[in-house]
Amino acid sequence: MAEMTSKQITSENSGLWLIKIITGLLIIVILAIHLVVNHMLGTEGGLLTYADVVAYYQNPIIPIMEAAFLICVVSHCLIGLRSIIIDLHPSQKVLTNITWLLTALGAVSIVYGIWLLFAIVAQG
Amino acid sequence: MSNLRNKPSSSNWFKWFDPRRRDVGTFAFILNRLTALGLTLYLFLHLIVLSQLSKGPEAYDAFLKLIANPIYMLGELLVIVAVLIHGLNGIRVGLTSFGIGVSTQKQFFYALMVVAIICSLFFAARMVIG
Repeated sequence: MAEMTSKQITSENSGLWLIKIITGLLIIVILAIHLVVNHMLGTEGGLLTYADVVAYYQNPIIPIMEAAFLICVVSHCLIGLRSIIIDLHPSQKVLTNITWLLTALGAVSIVYGIWLLFAIVAQG
Repeated sequence: MSNLRNKPSSSNWFKWFDPRRRDVGTFAFILNRLTALGLTLYLFLHLIVLSQLSKGPEAYDAFLKLIANPIYMLGELLVIVAVLIHGLNGIRVGLTSFGIGVSTQKQFFYALMVVAIICSLFFAARMVIG
């Protein structure tokens, strides 16, 4: 029983790994669109002014795309951070605590981001 | 398996920073991780800074003027380079994770990094000239 309580985690959960790969692929696609729109379609030398941003967010597909982008990036990032921690071979207890912390950080980031999307759309 | 010599754990984590006796695959892995950490920092900075958008046109447009400064543009360029390296390397990781292209992984990595360098130079030039 002593071995069980001090067992070190050495490998990634396969479900999380799959989510990391899928979000990675989605990020490549959506990031390309995100960068083109934010850097090449503005009124003053490409970069969007405040007025550009608010106007562009009035089209409903944009906040939806940006929300999806936010969820993909935050998930990919935090699952990746967790993988880095796993390479330090933590115990199950430590890893569970870290996972909770990362999940909380992710939830706060996503809620904040979606609030911000509503705030921007409301300015128009 | 010579890189097992540098295998880190929580008691010898500093072995992560030992650059000796590592092959190109380890180097690719390290690049991916370093860019990941840099981009994580950028992600949270970006999210915080975007709150300026909620404060109205004066706050946001003032912010845009601030980041026209060369120091910030250099930072932006670093982010672009990190995105290119991490994204292209990630394609390689994704494909080989499903068994595709495993035997030509090394050449694929070199080719992708050449693409990353070329695109980085293109964006750097665009930034300096534009």
